[in-house]
Amino acid sequence: MAHAHTVKRHTGIMDWLTTVDHKKIGILYMLAGGIFFLVGGLEAILIRLQLMYPQSEVVSAQTYNELITMHGTTMIFLAAMPMLFGFMNAVIPLQIGARDVAYPFVNALGFWTFFFGGLLLNISFFVGTVPDAGWTMYAPLSGTTHTEHFGTDYYVIGLQIAGIGTLIGGINFLVTIINMRAPGMTFMRMPMFTWATFITSALILFAFPALTVGLAALMFDRLFNGNFFDPSAGGNVVLWEHIFWIFGHPEVYILILPAFGIISEVVSTFSRKRLFGYSSMVFATILIGFLGFMVWAHHMFTTGLGPIANALFSVATMLIAVPTGIKIFNWLFTLWGGSIKFTVANLFAIGFIPTFVMGGVTGVMLSVAPADYQYHDSYFVVAHFHYVIVGGLIMGIFAGLHYWWPKMFGRMLSEKLGLWTFWTFYIGFHLTFFVQHFLGLLGMPRRIWQYLDGMGLNELNFISTIGALLMGVGTILLVINIIITNSKPKTASNDPWEDGRTLEWTIPSPAPEYNFAQTPLVRAYDAWWEEKMEGNTKMTPVEPIGPIHMPSPSILPFFMGLGLFIAGFGFMYAREFGTVSLVIGIAGLAITFICMGLRSWIDDHGFHIEEEEILKDQGVKA
Amino acid sequence: MAAANGHNSAGRSDVKTSRPEGSKKHVIAFVFSILLTFISFALVMAGEINTDFVYIMLVVLAIIQVFVQMAFWMHMKDKGHGFAIIGILTGVIVVFTCVIMALFWTTW
Amino acid sequence: MSSHSHVEGQLPHEPERATLEGRNKITGFWLFLGGETVLFGTLFAAYLTLRGQIMDGPTPDHLFSFLLVAIATALLLTSSLTSVFALQSMHRHDVKALLGWLIVTVILGAAFLGLEIYEFNHYVHEGHKFSTSAFSTSFYTLVGFHGAHVAFGLLWAILIMLQLKNRGLNTTTAPKVYLFGMYWHFIDVVWVFIFTVVYLMGRVG
Repeated sequence: MAHAHTVKRHTGIMDWLTTVDHKKIGILYMLAGGIFFLVGGLEAILIRLQLMYPQSEVVSAQTYNELITMHGTTMIFLAAMPMLFGFMNAVIPLQIGARDVAYPFVNALGFWTFFFGGLLLNISFFVGTVPDAGWTMYAPLSGTTHTEHFGTDYYVIGLQIAGIGTLIGGINFLVTIINMRAPGMTFMRMPMFTWATFITSALILFAFPALTVGLAALMFDRLFNGNFFDPSAGGNVVLWEHIFWIFGHPEVYILILPAFGIISEVVSTFSRKRLFGYSSMVFATILIGFLGFMVWAHHMFTTGLGPIANALFSVATMLIAVPTGIKIFNWLFTLWGGSIKFTVANLFAIGFIPTFVMGGVTGVMLSVAPADYQYHDSYFVVAHFHYVIVGGLIMGIFAGLHYWWPKMFGRMLSEKLGLWTFWTFYIGFHLTFFVQHFLGLLGMPRRIWQYLDGMGLNELNFISTIGALLMGVGTILLVINIIITNSKPKTASNDPWEDGRTLEWTIPSPAPEYNFAQTPLVRAYDAWWEEKMEGNTKMTPVEPIGPIHMPSPSILPFFMGLGLFIAGFGFMYAREFGTVSLVIGIAGLAITFICMGLRSWIDDHGFHIEEEEILKDQGVKA
Repeated sequence: MAAANGHNSAGRSDVKTSRPEGSKKHVIAFVFSILLTFISFALVMAGEINTDFVYIMLVVLAIIQVFVQMAFWMHMKDKGHGFAIIGILTGVIVVFTCVIMALFWTTW
Repeated sequence: MSSHSHVEGQLPHEPERATLEGRNKITGFWLFLGGETVLFGTLFAAYLTLRGQIMDGPTPDHLFSFLLVAIATALLLTSSLTSVFALQSMHRHDVKALLGWLIVTVILGAAFLGLEIYEFNHYVHEGHKFSTSAFSTSFYTLVGFHGAHVAFGLLWAILIMLQLKNRGLNTTTAPKVYLFGMYWHFIDVVWVFIFTVVYLMGRVG
């Protein structure tokens, strides 16, 4: 069945701008997320430098507020989530034996909307009006009465655009996992990272619309004289908190569940042992996801919801510790009795476990509502969430980077440099954040620009800053590792760790454009490991080698993102520049909608990769 | 084609009747919806009924109508809609939590 | 990857499910509707919180007209039924009837939208503006989001009809029609809650 489609293959930068290939999109996410991670890290260093000594003036108070706001916003939305999406894109289709995600075009669109949203947000630095009301943007501080300048608008519009990308990404992975698993891969044979992605995507689907509404409401209040959060017109400021945290709490589970998935993969691979208690791991992940929607008001214990509400949310929050604990014990039992290889990936994973537990137990402390009246808005909270996000999520990401780097790039990151990265980052991390628990207990509030001398806070703040600098060194070492590795030849084998358990290790490194020359038959959990244990050197294919249909690349996702970017600026400045700005906003939307129409109207026939090319690839790897 | 092979989901015969516009049950669902709507309007327009009762009945009638529309017009009672049901149900549960909290918060 | 829509001879009975791409679209759209449920749910929760904050503006009793809401409901409900008939025509592979019923659906939907625009215009003249109070802001946001969804749906339907005229019914255009049908029903379901919670409950007692 030969179709005479002209093969549309771009090269160079056009290749990257038009790609709909999940592997390339994964790399784009990693790159953009990595750059934003460095930006957020720089913001963090500046914050810590300001707090190194009492009553410092390293930066002005206004700049400090901007730094803390952008640090949180950038790290969560523009660094952590994109890097996780990078892994999901790079790995999920490979782990389930598929050739791409369900919607390759929409996948690219998700990346470009994230990119333009993040760009918009950071352009605020160059314009001089930076978001400064905290990453949580509480009303009424975020309204026009108290924040007249455009900083908040950059936040609202930037996140709204980036949020669209996340939402469609979530739907993409859900459908991919539901509909496109290889034959034989039942749900209970999926790798843990796939399960984690699945539940995370469900959380994204149901949490992000709440953020959409909250941001829209704040935007309407600011741009169109709305009254959602204006008490003088009957609005309610606590309503913002409810809406924000109904999104915000599931958001932190969106951050951590994929990391849990990575830890499961890394720990079991480098213990040469099947993950202990797979079914309970799956069940625990689902339970954590579900309970994550039931606890949002634990961020609001001090807003006067009353003792009954506080009690209910306290108990629900404590409950989440149970399935999380199950996961911790399962990882420990996987390691126990295993043949452990202390690769850098595994070091990050093993380092994750006690660190995350520490973050988790301070979480249980915070969940006790009466106690929270003391902890709330103090450095104790800051310590808690950095332990789980940095000590948890970021360590998980670093583990995943080292683990999957060969599959993504065909090269192994240097283990030696990796060791240095691990130890500097890990020690730096604990130095930075362990002392912050005590700062909180000593009464140091969050988000303060300066603290007075003689309050007993000097030494701990100093140590915390030294730790932060050490983390900076660790990060720089990682960047150096990446740069050096990039210049080495691509010599990684299919299964470079030699103990690969899952399907991604059955194909070349980096994966060929079509992923699998022949879709594999899955006969068990840890599908590849099972085949290896039976003495097979490759997976059994379910189809003969034949031409493979691929989706066409397209420049439309880029333009759709650009259209939203332009629209964002247009609408945002309408309250200062009037009709002209509004027209620009509408023009931007028109670009986006026209591209949508074009996409609908013009059928994508795709192109084929022919048998000869596939056989050639196979021949090269004897 | 080397793409993963799927097959059609089990065929539903929704083209059962002699009417050119398909099964009666869709039209019945429509009539039922109109009826439920009419009852809701009537309850409010009548004016003299206990307000708490009216509020509850309105919600109940709305939920019934939604069930009717989703089961018949969106085929949710038919095979092959497992994930659809899970998807919508999860959304409903999340919404239910938010709405209950909103009511609790404002009326307690 | 998506299969080609070249069909040798007969179109399958359920053309929207005949390709992996079609099935992916349908599954994904259901999930999207789950997310939309949360979107509207949040808007409803905000409305419920703020509906009592009328300040100096006109009250719901003063503003809302049973007749107007009943007509709007009848229009949207009927358009939902006609979209069912459109889908049934598609399954019978009767493209003419499919187009006919889609046109009726669009006309009814446009009438609904026109009525709503008239309604909002009337309210503004009564002093119920977007910026009047928290009640008015949340009213316009909730009902307006719904109206925007209706408008988008109409544009989408027109685009689909043009495609059907241009290249007929095949395994590529069929899922688009099916998805539109799902979307249109969902819009109607949301309206059931809007007329109940906003209009009817606004005039209880």
